[in-house]
Amino acid sequence: MGEIMNMIEAKEITYEYPDGTKALHGVNFNVEKGSMVALLGPNGAGKSTLFLHFNGIIQPSSGQIEIAEELLKYGKADLNKARQKVGIVFQNPDDQLFAPTVVEDVAFGPLNMGLSRDEVENRVSKALKKVGMAGFEDKAPHHLSGGQKKRVAIAGILAMDPEIMVLDEPTSGLDPKGASQILKLLYKLNEEGMTIIISTHDVDMVPLYADKIYIISGGEIIKEGNPHDVFGDVETIRKANLRLPRIAHLMEILKKEDKLSFSEEYPLTIGEARKSLLEYIESDSNRG
Amino acid sequence: MFENTLDNFAHHNELRGTNVHFKVLFALLTMLVSLISTSPVVPIIITFLMSFLIIFKAKIPWKFYLKFLTIPFIFGFLTFVFMALFFGVGTTIYEFNIFNLAVTVDGFNLGLLVFARIMGGFSCMAFLALTTPMTELFSVLETFKIPKIVLEIAMMMYRYIFVFLNEALNMYYAQQTRLGYQSFKTTYKSLGMLASNLFIRSWIKGERVYVSMESRGYNGSLYINNYQNSIGIKNLTILVLFESVLILGVYLSGNFRLF
Repeated sequence: MGEIMNMIEAKEITYEYPDGTKALHGVNFNVEKGSMVALLGPNGAGKSTLFLHFNGIIQPSSGQIEIAEELLKYGKADLNKARQKVGIVFQNPDDQLFAPTVVEDVAFGPLNMGLSRDEVENRVSKALKKVGMAGFEDKAPHHLSGGQKKRVAIAGILAMDPEIMVLDEPTSGLDPKGASQILKLLYKLNEEGMTIIISTHDVDMVPLYADKIYIISGGEIIKEGNPHDVFGDVETIRKANLRLPRIAHLMEILKKEDKLSFSEEYPLTIGEARKSLLEYIESDSNRG
Repeated sequence: MFENTLDNFAHHNELRGTNVHFKVLFALLTMLVSLISTSPVVPIIITFLMSFLIIFKAKIPWKFYLKFLTIPFIFGFLTFVFMALFFGVGTTIYEFNIFNLAVTVDGFNLGLLVFARIMGGFSCMAFLALTTPMTELFSVLETFKIPKIVLEIAMMMYRYIFVFLNEALNMYYAQQTRLGYQSFKTTYKSLGMLASNLFIRSWIKGERVYVSMESRGYNGSLYINNYQNSIGIKNLTILVLFESVLILGVYLSGNFRLF
């Protein structure tokens, strides 16, 4: 293994609105190549604002962004390059799907990149296949369900062949099946080597997938680390208007109220909880 | 939500796969024939032929189609009545004994012709509207050398009409839930709020769309791409023959009058 490369590195990003209110304050954020990072935070914490820095839509008041260890500059050609490398999937697919048909929308990015017709067609069909929307080419977006729209929006980014995908609240507004389909898709993409950043407040889903979690509150990063570190700090979690995953909450209650003693960390997923419960029962029956 | 709309039928009908240029050519030429006809015979035949194609070939539910047809029918019928009563001088067919009203031969024939042309022309429009999605019409317009900027604006408008319809409907329901449209006064007020709020929302939405387009490398122009199967010699021949027969009909029935 060579040196691990940072795909995105935000250094001391501060962003002020024209009226002087600070949306982001000294944010440091880095994402290693091939990892899956979650940005957790309550509404209005600055998640979307931070994301818009990653491809240069917003220029920070101070601080800098590096993409694949190259400083992001704000000239036209540099921005085009950055936007091809960093694909952002927006929260509301209706904001993103503007073309009258699915195929035209997915082709929008690749055509802007100046690729040949054949190459565009090839990429569009590959991207639609990957998200499971092949066969919907000629449909109008308003004839699709919420989950389908989301997948088309993802395909529109995939077709540009980015190195990092940034997704703002990818599961919001979807039914449980739609949400888990999207997450599975992201997990698969991540396994194939895509670097992924998602923002969410769905604390139950995140620990299953994320390698690293950042917590943002009031425009500042207040905690970072792997899921166990972050959710181990219950106080910070609650201060940020978030909560523990349901499973971890149950284990916390069992430990505190019912004095059951588990291993040092709270389990975050059903699998982990099952394991530590079985361990507990076993040690209990050994003692008894 | 949009199951029973024109747009939905345009996307899901049996003639969807037919070449767009063929459909446009067919509808426009037939409409032209309907308009140049000097007797009501050919336009009425066209009306029935088009209705037949729409209901039995494109498989549009006849109930929807008839409902669709009512508005032009009422319009055409009123035109007919007024023309029969107030147009033309000379021999009369029927005299009412009030206000000196009378139906004249001139007026009746003219009214009937206008009515037939309205129905003929409208059924051609209906054929196009019910079998061809807007998106495909855009590509035809592009080959007609309509400026790109106009087409791009039209495309975006078409897409966002549905988003805003949805938004407006949601707001409308929300207002109704809180007793918005109970009296004349609250209706007035609620509608005003709905309209102004929709305006603000479209502004915000416009900004968001722009950001999302910029993120995908938007550089000032959209590319329209559409793939069509060819018209085919057979269809082209049928089209030419069909229109020739219609024109012959126009020629032969040129002097036909009911009275």
